[in-house]
Amino acid sequence: MSELLRTLGVLCEPPLPHHRAMADALALPGEARDDEYAELFLFQLYPYGSVYLGPEGKLGGEARDRVAGFWRALGLTPPAEPDHLASLLGLYAELAEREAPQEWRRALLHEHLLSWTDPFLDRVGELAPPYHRAWAGLLREALDVEAAAVGPLPLAPLAHRDAPSLERPEEIGGVGFLEQLLTPVRTGFVLVRSDLVAAGRDLGLGLRVAERRYVLEALLAQDAPATLRWLARFAERAAERHRSEFWRERAAAAAALLAEAAGEAAQQEEVAHAR
Amino acid sequence: MNIRQLNERVAAAKRETLARGETFYPGPSRVHLASFPPKERWDEWVAVEPDGGERSYALVPTTCFNCESACGLLAYVDRETLQVRKFEGNPEHPGSRGRNCAKGPATLNQVTDPDRILYPLRRVGGRGEGRWERVSWDEALDDIAGRIRRALEEKRPNDVMYHVGRPGEDGFTERVLAAWGVDGHNSHTNICSSGGRAGYHWWMGLDRPSPDHANADVILLVSAHLESGHYFNPHAQRIVEARERGAKLIVVDTRLSNTATHADHWLAPVPGSEAAMLLAIASHLIRTGRHDREFVRRWWNWQEYLACEHPDRPQTFEEFERLLGELYSEYTFEYAERESGVSAEVLREVAETVAGARTRLATHVWRSASAGNLGGWQVARALFLLNALLGAVAVEGGTYPNAWNKFVPRPPVLPGHPEQWNELTWPEEYPLAMNEMSFLLPQLLKDGRGTIDVYFTRVYNPVWTNPDGFSWIETLTDSSLVGLHVALTPTWNETAYLADYVLPMGLGSERHDIHSYEQYDGQWVGFRQPVLRAARERLGEIVSDTREVNPGEVWEENEFWIDLTWRIDPDGALGIRGFFESRERPGEKMTVDEYYGWIFEHSVPGLPEAAAAEGLTPLGYMRRYGAFEVAKGVGPLHERPVPEAELEDAAVGEHGRVYTRAPKPDAPNVVPLPTPEPDEEGRRPVGVEVDGEILRGWPTPSGRLEFYSRTLAEWGWPEAAVPVYLRSHVHPDELGADRMTLISTFRLPVQIHTRSANAKWLDEIAHTNPLWLHPQDAERLGGIRTGDLVRVETEIGYFVVKAWVTEGIRPGVVACSHHMGRWKPEGQTGGQRQAMATVSLEREGSEWLLRRKAGVAPFESSDPDTGRIWWSDVGVHQNLTFPVHPDPVSGMHCWHQAVRVRRAEPGDAYGDISVDTAASREVYERWLERTRSARDTSPDGTRRPYWLLRPLKPPKDVYRLPAVRE
Repeated sequence: MSELLRTLGVLCEPPLPHHRAMADALALPGEARDDEYAELFLFQLYPYGSVYLGPEGKLGGEARDRVAGFWRALGLTPPAEPDHLASLLGLYAELAEREAPQEWRRALLHEHLLSWTDPFLDRVGELAPPYHRAWAGLLREALDVEAAAVGPLPLAPLAHRDAPSLERPEEIGGVGFLEQLLTPVRTGFVLVRSDLVAAGRDLGLGLRVAERRYVLEALLAQDAPATLRWLARFAERAAERHRSEFWRERAAAAAALLAEAAGEAAQQEEVAHAR
Repeated sequence: MNIRQLNERVAAAKRETLARGETFYPGPSRVHLASFPPKERWDEWVAVEPDGGERSYALVPTTCFNCESACGLLAYVDRETLQVRKFEGNPEHPGSRGRNCAKGPATLNQVTDPDRILYPLRRVGGRGEGRWERVSWDEALDDIAGRIRRALEEKRPNDVMYHVGRPGEDGFTERVLAAWGVDGHNSHTNICSSGGRAGYHWWMGLDRPSPDHANADVILLVSAHLESGHYFNPHAQRIVEARERGAKLIVVDTRLSNTATHADHWLAPVPGSEAAMLLAIASHLIRTGRHDREFVRRWWNWQEYLACEHPDRPQTFEEFERLLGELYSEYTFEYAERESGVSAEVLREVAETVAGARTRLATHVWRSASAGNLGGWQVARALFLLNALLGAVAVEGGTYPNAWNKFVPRPPVLPGHPEQWNELTWPEEYPLAMNEMSFLLPQLLKDGRGTIDVYFTRVYNPVWTNPDGFSWIETLTDSSLVGLHVALTPTWNETAYLADYVLPMGLGSERHDIHSYEQYDGQWVGFRQPVLRAARERLGEIVSDTREVNPGEVWEENEFWIDLTWRIDPDGALGIRGFFESRERPGEKMTVDEYYGWIFEHSVPGLPEAAAAEGLTPLGYMRRYGAFEVAKGVGPLHERPVPEAELEDAAVGEHGRVYTRAPKPDAPNVVPLPTPEPDEEGRRPVGVEVDGEILRGWPTPSGRLEFYSRTLAEWGWPEAAVPVYLRSHVHPDELGADRMTLISTFRLPVQIHTRSANAKWLDEIAHTNPLWLHPQDAERLGGIRTGDLVRVETEIGYFVVKAWVTEGIRPGVVACSHHMGRWKPEGQTGGQRQAMATVSLEREGSEWLLRRKAGVAPFESSDPDTGRIWWSDVGVHQNLTFPVHPDPVSGMHCWHQAVRVRRAEPGDAYGDISVDTAASREVYERWLERTRSARDTSPDGTRRPYWLLRPLKPPKDVYRLPAVRE
C-alpha cells in the first residue's frame, strides 16, 4: 500500500503537471486546478494535523511538536511541516518500504493520522470538487485497509486523551468561547468559512468579510440565540456523520452545550425586551 | 477495482515512468508554505490573484540591495504591463535559499516610492538651500568628467574621492578608481565593523568570520544576529536549523534583543566588559585542559611569541602552555563578574557549554561591542581565542575565515593600484587603522591634510549616519573644502541636500552587480540585475542602456562609471579609457553584457558547464537563476599541502614560514587577501612548515594563527599584542556617579540605516526610536514614565527623546536605536515624506540647534497608501550629538556614549538637538592624543604595515613616510 499512500500524499500538495500521471493511475475525475486547490486546502480545510488536534485549532504549537517528536524518536529530522498530511503519508510509506517495525507504523497511523483524518476527510468529501472528493474517498479507504493490517493501539491516541474540552461560555467569556468553537478537537466539528456563509444565509444575517473568528462574532452579535441554535444543529449533524467514537462524542457534547447556550441566550433576550 | 489493486496500478505507473527516464514524484515535497514556483516555469508563471483572476508573470531573479547580506530576490514581472508586481525569495540562491526578511519584499515600495529621485538634478543657489533644476545626464557627466580630468592632468589625483556607504558589490568601483590612478576610495567601515574586523585580521590575516552555524553544537553571538546585521538572514536560518538539532545558543547583549529572547544563555554585561567575560571563559578552558593542544601546537604562532616575548625561557610548547596559563590566570570568573556584572556562576555554566562544543563552536561578532568601545577590537580577538583554543577553526561547525567562503571572480581587466597615498583617508596617526578614517574627514579637511575637488557620496549619508554630523554640514557647505559634491543615490538623504549634483541610481532590481559573501562553508556568486531589462530580453527585445527600462532617467552604476571614465579620457590619452574598452569591438565602450559575460565565461569554475547543460550561455544562466554555487564544503584550507610546483627554490624562514620563487598562480578567485612580506631574497610566502609538512597555512606574516601579533607589538602596541581586556571609554570608573552608557548601535530589525525610509511597509512597522530605560533608573531619575520626554546630554550637546521604560535593558545603561530620526530642512523641496520630520536648523558660530517643526502626515501622491499614513513620530536623530571617538589602534569610531539623562526642561521639545562643534573638536583632539603615530612607532619608516589589507593598495615605495608631513 505504500505507493498508493505516498501518491495520495503528493496529491494533496499544490498541483503540478507531474501529478497528472498519478491522477490518471488512480482514475481521479477531472484534473487538479490551482484555484480549486487554493480554495480547498488554503482557505477552507488545512491539511495539517495540528489544526484538528491542537488546543487552539491553529497550525503549529504543541500538536505539531508532538508529531515532530515522533520523527525524532525514529531518528529522523522532521521536515519543515511534519504534521502536513503529505509529510505524514510520505513517512508512513517510507516506514512500510523500509520494513520498519510494525509498532512504528501502528503508532504513526493511530496517533498522528487516524486521530484527525475522520473529521477532515469527511469535510473534504462534502466540500471538495470531484477530483479531491474522489481523492478523499480513496484515502479514507486506504487508511482503513492499513488500520486493519496493523491492528489497534491498546490506548486511545494521546492527542485524544489529552484533548481539552469545549468550555462553557460563562466560564471563559464570550471571546474565549468563540475561539473554542473554531477548535475542532474541543467541538468535534470543523467549522469552515463556507459554513459561516451558509449560516448567515440560513439565518438572514449580514456577513462580515474577515477571519472566521470575526465572522462568527458578527453573527453572534446580530442574533446570538439563532446562531447558537444553528451551531447546535451543525454539531448534531457532525456527530451523526463521524465514524470515530472520540469525534462523535465530542460533537454530541458540543451540540448539547450549544443548545443549552442558545436557550440561555434567548432567555436573556426576552428579559432585555421585557425591560 | 479494490484499494490493493489500485496500489499495484500506481506502483506500475511509477515503474513505467522511471523506465522512460522520467520522474514520477515531483522531487522534494513542497508542502510547506514557502514553496516556490518550479524554475522550469519561470518564463511564464500563472498565479491566481486575490480577485480570483489569473495573471501571467515572468520570474526574474536579482539580489536585494538593502542590507549587505545580498539575499536572492525573485521579481514577479507582469508579462502584460512589464511592471514588477512583487518580490519574493529566490530559491536558487545558495545563501538565502529562498528566504527573505521584511526588507527584501519591501524593495517594491522603494521602486514605486512617489518621492524617489527620477532625474539628474543640479543645485540652484547656495549649497543646502534646497533648490534644484533638472539636467541631462550629458550635462552632468561632462561637467564632472571635466573636473576629474583637470585634477588628473594637473597631478592632483587625490582631489577625487569616492565615499561609499553600502558597497553591495565586490570591487567594481575600486577598480574604476584604480584605473583612474587615484587613492580616492573612502568607506563607511570605520563607523561600522572595522573594530571587529581588526580583531579577526590580526588573528588570521582575514578580517571577517564565517561561522558554520548550521553544523555547530554551540553558537556564541556577541550580536543580535537572529534579527539584523551581516549576514543575518542567511545566518539566522542556519542558526535556527542548528537549534532544531539541539544546538545551544549563547547571546551576549546588554539589551534584550529579539535574538537574546531565543538564547539558551542570555548574558547582559556592563557595556565594554565583553572581552573580560570571554577571556574568563578562555581561562577556564585552559585551566581545565579542555583546549585542543594539538591544534594550538600546530597552528598558533607560539614559537614567535616565545622568541619575541620570552627569549630567555625554554622555547618549547610545554613552556608556552605554562605561560599561557599564567597569562590568563587573572581572568577568573569572579574577576569577570566584577567587570561585567554577570554572575560567576552563570559564566561558569556558559564556559562549560562552550567547552562542550569542542570543535563545533560557531562564534560571531561584527559591530556590537566591537563597535561600541575603546579597544573593542579586542572583543573579536578574545572571541576568536575561544575558537582557536578549541580548534573550532575552519572545520565543520566551527568558524571559518571569510575569504575561504567567498568567491570574487577575476574581471576581464585588473588595473594596477594607484601610486598615491591619500592622507585624508589613511592619516599617519592611525597606521594600523583597519579601514579608511572616513568619519574624520571634516577634521582632516579643516586641518588642511588634503583637498577634495570632486567628492562622490554613494549610498552614503555621513551627515546623518556618522558621529558629529554638524561638522559634516559645516564641511560640505564649504566649497573651499569640497569643490564639487556629487551624490549618487536612489533616494533623498540628509547628505544629498548638500550636494551639487544628485544623480539617481537604481535600486536592487534596477542595477548590475556581482557579489559573494561568507554565509556557510561554501562559495557562491550572486548576480544583481535590472529585472525589467532581463524580462524584456526574455521577450526578445534588445536593451543596451539600463535607463531604457528603469523609471524616469534612473541609471545604474556600472554603465555610469564606464561612461564617466570615457568622458574623462575621451581619446585615451590618459591611459584610462582602455580599461573599459570593449575587447570584442575595439574603440567602443565595454558593455555590461560583455563585462559580466566575460566573467561568467572565464572566472567562475563550473558555471559554463552548468549553463551548457541547460542550453544557456553563462551570462544567460546568471540572468535566469541569479546565483551560482562554486563550491560547497571548502574545509580547512590551511591544512592543505602546498603543491610541489609552487615550491621552486623554496626556503624555510623563521618559525617555519616557507617562501618560494614560483610566481603566484592566477587564480580565478580574486577575493582580497593580505600580502605578508617576502623573505630577504624576494621569495614570496607560500606556506608554513608544520610537523615536517609544508602546508598552506594562514595569510599572516607567520603563516600561522597569530595569537601574538608581532605587528601590534612592533607598531607601538606591545601591551595589546595578545588577546587582553582593554578598559572601555565607558568603563564604570570613567563614568562616575552621574553618567550612564548609551548604546546607540542597534538596529530595528525591519529597517536598514538610512536606506529604508522609502519603504512604506517598513515605515509602518517601525518608525520611531524611544530611549530604553530600566525601571530602576526611571525611578531614580524622578519617576519617569514611558512616553515622558527626557534630555540625553552627551559630551557636545543633547537630544530630547521619549522614554520607554523597560526591563529589557541593564540598569545603569540606556539604549536608543540609530535607525530613526530622519529629517529634512524647512524649504527643501526633495525629501521622504513618509519618514522624515521637517526641521529648522539654526547656527550661531559653532553652536547648532535643530528643532522639529513637523512630523510626518498623510499626503496625496501616486500611491494611495500615502494618504493613509497614521504615524507622525519618526524618532530623534541622536548621532548628531556624538563626538568622534576614533580607536587609536583599529581606527574604529567607538560608538558608546557616556551620557547624563534627566527629565526634559520646560521649553524642550521632542526632537530638539543642540550641539557645539567647537566642543566636538576638543573631543577629537583628546582622542587624537591616544594615538601612536607611524612617525613615532613605525619600525621601518613606512606609514603602515604593508601586509595589512587595504582596499586600494599602492606600491610598497608609496608606503614610505614623507620626510615632513605633506
